[in-house]
Formats: sequence, C-alpha cells, structure tokens
Amino acid sequence: MRQCRARVLALQEVNREFYSLILHEPYLAATVQPGQFLHLRVDSGLSPLLRRPFSVAGAFPGTGTVRLLFRCVGEGTKLLCRVREGDLLDCLGPLGTPFTPAGADPAVLLAGGTGIAPLLYLAESLLAAGRGVHLFYGATGAAALLPLERFLSPGLLIHYATEDGTAGEQGLLPDVFQRALDNGLLPGELFACGPRPFLAALARGNQRWRFPLQISLEERMACGIGACQGCAVLIQKDGVTAYARVCREGPVFRSEEVVW
Amino acid sequence: MPSLKIKLGPLELETPLLTASGTFGFGEEYATLMYLEGLGGLVLKTLTIFPRPGNPPPRLVETPAGMLNAIGLQNPGLESFLAQELPRLQECGLPLIVSIAGDTPEEYVELAGALRRQPGVAALELNLSCPNVKKGGVLFSTDVALLEKLVSQVRLAWDGPLIAKLSPNVTTVAEPARAAAAGGAHIISAINTLRGMVIDVAARRPLLGNRCGGLSGPAVRPIAVNMVYDIYEATRLPIIGMGGIMNTDDALQFILAGAAAVAVGTANFVEPHTIPQIAAGLREYLEEAGLESLQELVGAAHDV
Repeated sequence: MRQCRARVLALQEVNREFYSLILHEPYLAATVQPGQFLHLRVDSGLSPLLRRPFSVAGAFPGTGTVRLLFRCVGEGTKLLCRVREGDLLDCLGPLGTPFTPAGADPAVLLAGGTGIAPLLYLAESLLAAGRGVHLFYGATGAAALLPLERFLSPGLLIHYATEDGTAGEQGLLPDVFQRALDNGLLPGELFACGPRPFLAALARGNQRWRFPLQISLEERMACGIGACQGCAVLIQKDGVTAYARVCREGPVFRSEEVVW
Repeated sequence: MPSLKIKLGPLELETPLLTASGTFGFGEEYATLMYLEGLGGLVLKTLTIFPRPGNPPPRLVETPAGMLNAIGLQNPGLESFLAQELPRLQECGLPLIVSIAGDTPEEYVELAGALRRQPGVAALELNLSCPNVKKGGVLFSTDVALLEKLVSQVRLAWDGPLIAKLSPNVTTVAEPARAAAAGGAHIISAINTLRGMVIDVAARRPLLGNRCGGLSGPAVRPIAVNMVYDIYEATRLPIIGMGGIMNTDDALQFILAGAAAVAVGTANFVEPHTIPQIAAGLREYLEEAGLESLQELVGAAHDV
C-alpha cells in the first residue's frame, strides 16, 4: 500500500448510470487484486473533506492503468465526474482484503447494481486463470445496466435480471439465481457484491445452498487503512462476535461470518 | 536550523506535533504508509480496563468541512494492550502518550497504576470527555469538583506527566481548566470533539448508530482556537491544542493562541503526511521570522 498520484487518462460517461475512469499508476496496476479498493481524494478543498473508497473494476499491468466504474450520485462522485485528462488524483492503495478464489469450478459471480465494479475485475482474472465463470447481473431496468460487452473478454456466461423485465429475466437477482440452481447450475463457489439487502438475501439463500460465498461490503469510511475504526461491521468468527473493519479485514468477508 | 523542541512542563518533545487520540489507531496502520518524521509523539487510542466492542454502525458521517464520529471507545482493553500493542509501539521509539478513560475514578486510577513505569509511556492523557459513551465522560467534564478530585487521585497513582483532555461541550472551558490545574494536571489538552447529530432524512432517524457523535475537522477550528486562547488566560499550564488542524497556518493559530504543542486528528485521514508537512512548515516559518525556537511564539496573540 502506498500513497500515489494517479494520472487521469480518460473519463467516459458510459451510459446514464455509469462513468468509467482510467488512471495511470503502474504500481497500483501491478499490485491491486480483485476486491481491493483505492481511497481517492477527489478534491483538495475542505468540503468534501474525506477521501472516497472506490473498488477497482480492472487492472492492466501492461499499460500501467487501472479502471474505476462509478455512479455520479454524491458530492464526491460529482466532483470526480469533472476531472480532466492529465489531472493527478491523490490516491491510497491498494487497500483491503481481496477475494480469494479457492479453485472450484464454475465460479459464479453475483452483482447487484454498482456491485458490478469489483466483480468485473474478478471475472477477468478468473477467466485469465482458465476458470469457468458465470456472471449474474441485476439492476432495476435495462437502462441501469452496464454494457458488459465493452468491459469483458469473451468466455463468460452472463445472466441478466431486471426488476422491470426490460432486460434478461424479470425479478430480483437472488430469485433468478435460485431458478438457475433449480435448472441444474452447480456452482463451485460464489462471489457477490451489491447493496446490503441484496447480499443479505444471498446469505439467507446460502443457508440452504451451502456454497462457499464471499461477499464484498460497503460502509462509511474515514481513514481507509484501519486506524479510525469507523467502518465497523459485526462479524462472528470462531464463536466470537466482534466488530471488524471493512477497510482492513474486509471489504471481502465470508458471508456466514457476517452478522446480518 | 531552528529547533522544534518543546517543553510541556515535565514532558519534553522533539517536535510539538502529536497525533490526536483515536485518529492513529495504535500506530501500526500508519507505520507502513508514512515516515514518522516530524512527529513528537503518539497519543494513542483511548484505553479502558476491559475491552470495549464499540458502537453499532454507522459510526461516522461526513459533514461540511468535518466529520461526526461515534466509535464508542472501541479498544482491546488493558491486558491485551500491555501484552500486544504496547511492545510493538515501543519499537517505534517515539514517546507514547496513553489516553485512558473509565466509568469511575477508580478505573482511571487502576489504569494509571498499571501503566506506571511501562517503558516508552511518556505521559498519560485523561479522556474526560468522550461524547460517545453513555457513562463517565460527560460527568467528569461538566462537574468541576469531580474533575479536580479525579485528577488528584490519578496523580497519586501516576508519577509521570499527566494531561487532562477537556471537553468543549461546556459553557465556559476556563472552569474545568482551572479544576484540572488545581487537581495537579501538568498539561491541558483541548479540545475533544463537539457533540453533534446528522438526521437521515430518508429514514427520518439520526444517521449514526449511536444517534449523536463528536464533530471534528476544520469546521470546529475557530471554536477550538478560542478555547485554547481562553485556557491560556485561565491557567498557567502548558496546552496541547487541537481541532481541525490541516496545515502549518492552522497549527500556528493554536500556538499563537497559547498552545505549546498541537495535535493533528481528522487531517491524518485526509492526508497521512500532514504532520511531516507541518513540521517542515514550522521550521520554515521560524527561519523566515528569524526565531530560534517555537517557544517564543506560544501565546503571542495575547495582549502583554
């Protein structure tokens, strides 16, 4: 982990929902693992004051670049939407505990909304390792989906779900995934990222499915490196219930250890 | 080169720059990231006798030019601190200032006794004012008689430099400052966070798990500078000033108001190298002003 200055190579409005930001920082590109995040200072002023955590959606050591995907929703991301090519962004990273694939095929990735970002990077790295990968990707409607074909290598089996049925299967992603299981899908392991209710629904489902399930959590963060204890999440492990830090022990946890 | 060495009563520091309690963990987190250049000492996260799990999340929220936190004094407890954190911290070679808190005066006394003569522990800071726990804190910071008695009791159990950290959540800070002085504190540190709240409008509920929290960051700085100014007038004790220090000029405001040392807290989260940057900035300021030592500036904003 280092503090670096990442150079903005390109900022692109992918669609109404997503921005893609390519940063040039060879150290980060070479070291960041799927599930890890960068803590960005989006402005040098006093408001907004704190850094913002962003999961890495892709890393390209060959070109020394990393990709972030984000929605322009809050004070911080609104500023980030206005960066220009050549700007330098103060950045801490890579931070956090990454996903740890155990090797059982196929790997099934479950992404809810913006939870797609870290799973894109995980999907790419699993494909590169020759793993069989399914991606279940859900959003409210077609317009809210990231055009995956622009960001992923071929070879991935993608299942879309939308709440309004405008793309893929209609319904909530955990239910769509349940139907795939009923139709004979047999995952070796699961990885998920998305809103907390979505992850909680998967964790409940997994009490029946009993697959190894790693989930990536979000929480409000200040330091990003484990000092302030701000991003606490209740974890039950070896019979002990205690707060863990999303920025340090997480953001990736085993779902059965999270006290939902 | 001008010296940043500073003497706070019995406590001598290489530089006047400290980490504010609770913002640097127990040190390990920043050790990999920053060079400790410019740091005069580490004020550690508040320690209690027994481990504390901390408050339910959300524990923090950003506010205009600041943040609210309600961590709830999460810490591993005395036994684990002595066995695990302290030996590791001793290796960094910096003076360690251990912040302690208790629900009763007896707990403060017990902690002070256990920390007495531990190598590397340069001073104790009494956290008299954590706004985020139900018992203890509020009482000690607002009842000056109790505050004075607590400080004097700890003095009996602890023979090193003793710092009383005061709460800003009072009508006038001069009274608790005088009470701490009367109780035998060597140093006053101020300010702790200001009580505050953010309401989640969508949920129609307070946003923090603890409902209220402590406000820190540049938003509180003018209040903190004023309180340091008032404490300087009220007592003769050396002051560690803090509250929203982001850069050299901010640190100088506190020093001119009467602080002999300053602590950096929230800024560590934003820019981990704030303290080394301020150390360099202070040296430069002294050189340009033709001053030998920072001591000459302490309280210089007051009428003579």
